Amino acid sequence: MTAWKETVGGRRALTILRSRPFLTVAIVAGVWIAASFTSRGFGSYGHLRYLVELAAVIGLVAAGQTFVVIAGGIDLSVAAIVTVSAVSLPLLSWQADPTGLTAVLAVLALTTTIGLVNGLGVALLRVHPMIMTLAMATFLQGLLIIIAGGSAVTAENPLVRWLGNARPAGIPAGVLLWVAVSVIVLAAMHATSFGARLFAMGANPLAATLSGVPVASTTLAVYGISGFTSGLAGVLVLGMNGQGYVGIGDPYLLASIAAVVLGGTSILGGLGTYAGTIPGAILLVTITALITVVNASPGWRSILFGSLILGLLLLSGREQARR
Amino acid sequence: MSVVDPSRQAGALYWPVQLRRNVGVRGLFAVVMAFLVAYGFLFPGLLTASGFAKFTQSWFPLALVAMAQAILMLTGGISLAIGAMVSLGAVIAATTMTGPLGVAGGAAAVTLTGVGIGAATGFIVVKLRLPAIVVTLAGSFIIGGAALLILPRPGGAIPEWLSDLLAGNTPAAFVLLVLIVLLWKLYLATPLGLSLYAAGENPVGAYRSGVPVDGARIAAYAISGLLCTGAGLFVAAQTGSGDPVIGTAFTLNSIAAAVLGGIGFLGGQGTMRGALAGSLLLSLMISVMFFLGFTPVAQYVAQGLIIIGAVAIPQFRKVQQ
Repeated sequence: MTAWKETVGGRRALTILRSRPFLTVAIVAGVWIAASFTSRGFGSYGHLRYLVELAAVIGLVAAGQTFVVIAGGIDLSVAAIVTVSAVSLPLLSWQADPTGLTAVLAVLALTTTIGLVNGLGVALLRVHPMIMTLAMATFLQGLLIIIAGGSAVTAENPLVRWLGNARPAGIPAGVLLWVAVSVIVLAAMHATSFGARLFAMGANPLAATLSGVPVASTTLAVYGISGFTSGLAGVLVLGMNGQGYVGIGDPYLLASIAAVVLGGTSILGGLGTYAGTIPGAILLVTITALITVVNASPGWRSILFGSLILGLLLLSGREQARR
Repeated sequence: MSVVDPSRQAGALYWPVQLRRNVGVRGLFAVVMAFLVAYGFLFPGLLTASGFAKFTQSWFPLALVAMAQAILMLTGGISLAIGAMVSLGAVIAATTMTGPLGVAGGAAAVTLTGVGIGAATGFIVVKLRLPAIVVTLAGSFIIGGAALLILPRPGGAIPEWLSDLLAGNTPAAFVLLVLIVLLWKLYLATPLGLSLYAAGENPVGAYRSGVPVDGARIAAYAISGLLCTGAGLFVAAQTGSGDPVIGTAFTLNSIAAAVLGGIGFLGGQGTMRGALAGSLLLSLMISVMFFLGFTPVAQYVAQGLIIIGAVAIPQFRKVQQ
């Protein structure tokens, strides 16, 4: 029985079976199978496609978050950046450009700049990431209300609408976007020198500095990426929702961090992969959908959500013992 | 008391040690004093008995949550559930105190809840080795949900005499704060309190030297929970009723106050007096902005800028030196 474990292929298969991303995929599969037996319509193609579409937004936000967390930081401003993107895009839509691409690019440039400012604060001013990004979130929250007021704004942008509603070849455009981003993120993380520097920095910043990793510019880059992907998520959520309003991004802060941690990335940095974050995001959306099915009061829903995340963390998010 | 020398030596060392611990926060104390003087000039009401009472009452809950956050950060932890705990304390107080349990029973319920949830959080973080930031983030949903279950919409009541005692024209808040600081001093003299800094500064070294690291950290979470629900009780007394989301803003403000006060994120760095001064500074800034007619929105913007500035400038000077 143990013979196959000795072969190269067998050992590789065992490594995959024991890895955290695979564990998360297994949990998702288990929950989906169990839920489709107990709840009618849960397992239908349309419903599962809808779940993945919702997970795409979390997955995009969590892409930037994964970069930041692996590099040893944390970005608590992602929710505010999603809102900035979803609220400022309708205000920017010029009539001159029939595709709406310029407005989208302008918004992405804006959110990337916000991320870069976070990075500047962390890298050059040496403000702790948690403080820098929380303060940035507070700042943006105030600014947004001043700019947009309390009312919802409707998106007229054709590109945004296409992104939120089109289904080329039966697959939602948002999911296609997520797949494309995932491929780029995984390649950048595991097949470039930038990715290698990221892990070195997160594992031991001092050793990384002494080994010649340009810590300041890498930090700047990861927060810039986080701003960019959060902006992208904001564009997508605006397209799916049709309207942007202050607070639209709020659910994505906890969701992005939870997706990263459920996917087996260490919150302390230096260890992890986006390949785990992807099933983590799908798992989160599945949990939320199941809780909605239960039809509980908001209080119970909140308790269930928190408890389930905590329970799943016990399966996949534990840190190594210190001694 | 046959051996007098060590205790006398310890006594003689006490004040020099305390002075040395002030070094890091001297600048902050100066800024706070300057702000207080300016505030006193702008709003002379501060120097009257009722003005002083009102001012300390607006500071008191922030001071408590700053202490709650600081004690965790000293052990190398953090809590993002501070706001939810404050809300839970407030709704428990508002639903029990006018009921059959009475004020004493209600206060006991608030205390037990705070210590219990805090200790449970500490147990999960320390014994099950989950990252504090994620546990408390998930915990904030559970605790906030519980607050919504107890009181789905603002309501409940606090006995009028209690509101008058805590939030009326009395210096009760200030007296309570002095008491809490004294208790903190006493706690630091107990074995668990002594272990607090060691457990945060160098957990492995402390563990190998026989310091009860896990116990000190769990106790810190329990105390932190108690401070938060206590702040909730006070907020409920201030408003005369309970509100399941009243504490939300305290999460960010507690971290901001602790960091303004020089508490480090890595554990073992900083002093409680610093955190208290930080909370006083933040409270002063909020009051000044309120009196100058800033809208709550502009307050957000200004607060974000001030926090970054206050944290960045000392770091920046350190880098340049």
